[in-house]
Amino acid sequence: MGKGFCALFKKDCRMLASGKFFFMAIGFLALYTAYVNLGYIRFMQMEPYHVYLYDPAGTQTEKSPLVQTVSSMEAMDSILLDDANGVGLDVSAGNVQVVLYAGAERIDNHRIDYALSLLRPSGNYSPEILGINTPEQKSRKEITCELLFFELAAVGFLGIAAVLFKEKGMGVIRVHAILPLRKTWFLLSKLAVFLLSDLVFAVLLTLLNVGLSDGAAVLPAVLVQTAILSLIMALVGLFCALILKDFRQFTLAYLVIAIFAATPVFLSANTPVKLDWIGYHPFYHVYMGLKNAYFATAISPAYYVGSAGMIVVLFSAVQFVFGREIGKEG
Amino acid sequence: MRGLKYQMKSVLRDKFCLMTFLLPILVAAALNFMGSMDMSSLGELHFCVLENDLSLQTVTWLERYGPVTAYATQDEWTAAVNEPSTNVIGVRADGDSLKTAVAGDELEIFQQAAATLLSLYEQRKTAEQAEVIIRERPDILENLQGIFIPAVLIIAMFMGCTFNTMNIISEKEDGVAFVNEVLPMTPSQYILQKMAVGFLFGSLSSVVTACLCFQLSWQNFGMMLALIVLSSFVAALIGLFIGKFSEGLMIGVVYIKIVMLLFLAVPILCSLTGVHGLPAVICGMVPSQPAFEGIMALSAGNMAVAVKDIAILALHSIAWAVLYVLISTRRKNSITKVYRKESENP
Repeated sequence: MGKGFCALFKKDCRMLASGKFFFMAIGFLALYTAYVNLGYIRFMQMEPYHVYLYDPAGTQTEKSPLVQTVSSMEAMDSILLDDANGVGLDVSAGNVQVVLYAGAERIDNHRIDYALSLLRPSGNYSPEILGINTPEQKSRKEITCELLFFELAAVGFLGIAAVLFKEKGMGVIRVHAILPLRKTWFLLSKLAVFLLSDLVFAVLLTLLNVGLSDGAAVLPAVLVQTAILSLIMALVGLFCALILKDFRQFTLAYLVIAIFAATPVFLSANTPVKLDWIGYHPFYHVYMGLKNAYFATAISPAYYVGSAGMIVVLFSAVQFVFGREIGKEG
Repeated sequence: MRGLKYQMKSVLRDKFCLMTFLLPILVAAALNFMGSMDMSSLGELHFCVLENDLSLQTVTWLERYGPVTAYATQDEWTAAVNEPSTNVIGVRADGDSLKTAVAGDELEIFQQAAATLLSLYEQRKTAEQAEVIIRERPDILENLQGIFIPAVLIIAMFMGCTFNTMNIISEKEDGVAFVNEVLPMTPSQYILQKMAVGFLFGSLSSVVTACLCFQLSWQNFGMMLALIVLSSFVAALIGLFIGKFSEGLMIGVVYIKIVMLLFLAVPILCSLTGVHGLPAVICGMVPSQPAFEGIMALSAGNMAVAVKDIAILALHSIAWAVLYVLISTRRKNSITKVYRKESENP
């Protein structure tokens, strides 16, 4: 019995290798790692607003070193045009005049008061730090989580369907109908191959982008979430591949998932924009599970129960559709 | 002409093709709807306080800078500050003054805001006396829509690329490609038939997307049409290239993904970083860059830049078409030679 499963497992591994799936996964790993280390971490910086002062008489003697002095109002206008988030302070007429380009009202209120406060700084105050991550660690964990989610939800989903469509075209399902093997092994061997490759991908992506020590600390929790997501997506991929006619129809389902399903999840989970209905989006909970694993935050047991239930339901649905497909072929 | 008729017939029966071209139009409609969403909260400061800790005046003062959320317990307050998706600043009373707390993983701007909040609180009376001049922001990219709309239009223009790639790969997998190689057709006839559908539907999809996203004058619409037609032509040709070099559907999809990422990333990065000189020339070699720049220039009313971009796209069209004809002719000649050799020495 085990021998039959091993043979199927080996055959699926060979299919993936010949379809350049592993090669593609390594390519994406290299691309993501280069993007995180050479691009994302460097771009994800936001300096405080720059404050420019025009003070020809030199009256502002107490000003903070953060204030940059300009030689004329023309120079101030030119600088503000380039740095539209900056704030200009003109004290040439005696009183303080604040010049800035409009943004959101409450942000403007803060920019104005912040700029004025720099004229009379009141000592060095440091806020209490409650968290354990630095800005770079947070950025690394956040982007690694997003990339892993995207890779598993979209690329893995596409991979399993590509393999199944190829097998459908080659008549493997028809052959399998008359083989003395349990029908579920056909599905289980595919799930096992994708699960293993996703787990290896998650380990490498996490260690390369979060860092060795930080990555190793969160890895066990990340692998549990990766396994949940990988199984769910592989089962959804198998289900779609079995009910859809050809790979072209499948890529449309993939586009819909990539654009309409993933975008609101990323928006709600990574920005202060919270959509009211996002709690009903199943991907949101799975994504938050992965994110909580990266940030070592507690995950509700109800989520695990829900995920397990979802996997069982999906597996039953795939088994049913697979049985129907074998019946058709037979 | 008959071949073209068959291509059109095949597309109209294929729901995937129709949906591919409809997708950008749906996204454009969704973006118009999203225009009513308030995205300004993305850069705002957010504060959290403990219930009954700060005076009402202090909370009102904090609300001038951003939304304030009150929590019943210390644990909830700490969790809100530590929440990784936000940059919430925790504020608590400290006698007559305030003290702030942050997670420590925020961007520098938010950490600085937390560090200077106390100073702002102490100087709140004097700040009210300053005269303030607020100018209208000159930047056309005031909100995210400004960059999203051209990006969607680029996707619409380059949908023809996806279609043509899939078309060629499907023909390869079904064996039709081998039949095409020996048909009595010139390379230009073959190219015309293969790229016509992707080009026509890509252009149509882009025109509808442009009509949904922009309110253009007739003159600007003419310029936009030129940008759309040239971009769709180049995209359809690139689709033929990807189809030619892909060994299977999966590899084809990967190539399309890479090309699409490149087409979107290059113009957006150029637009955000404002490249000049040699890097700008290199970026211009990606056809979506002049298309994107041209759309942005049209929306800003800069006709000179739009005309320059149309000229660059025309050059792209000629260069890609010549390259494709050369490759196809060479391949067809080599196949004919092999065929002749085999028929002479059976």
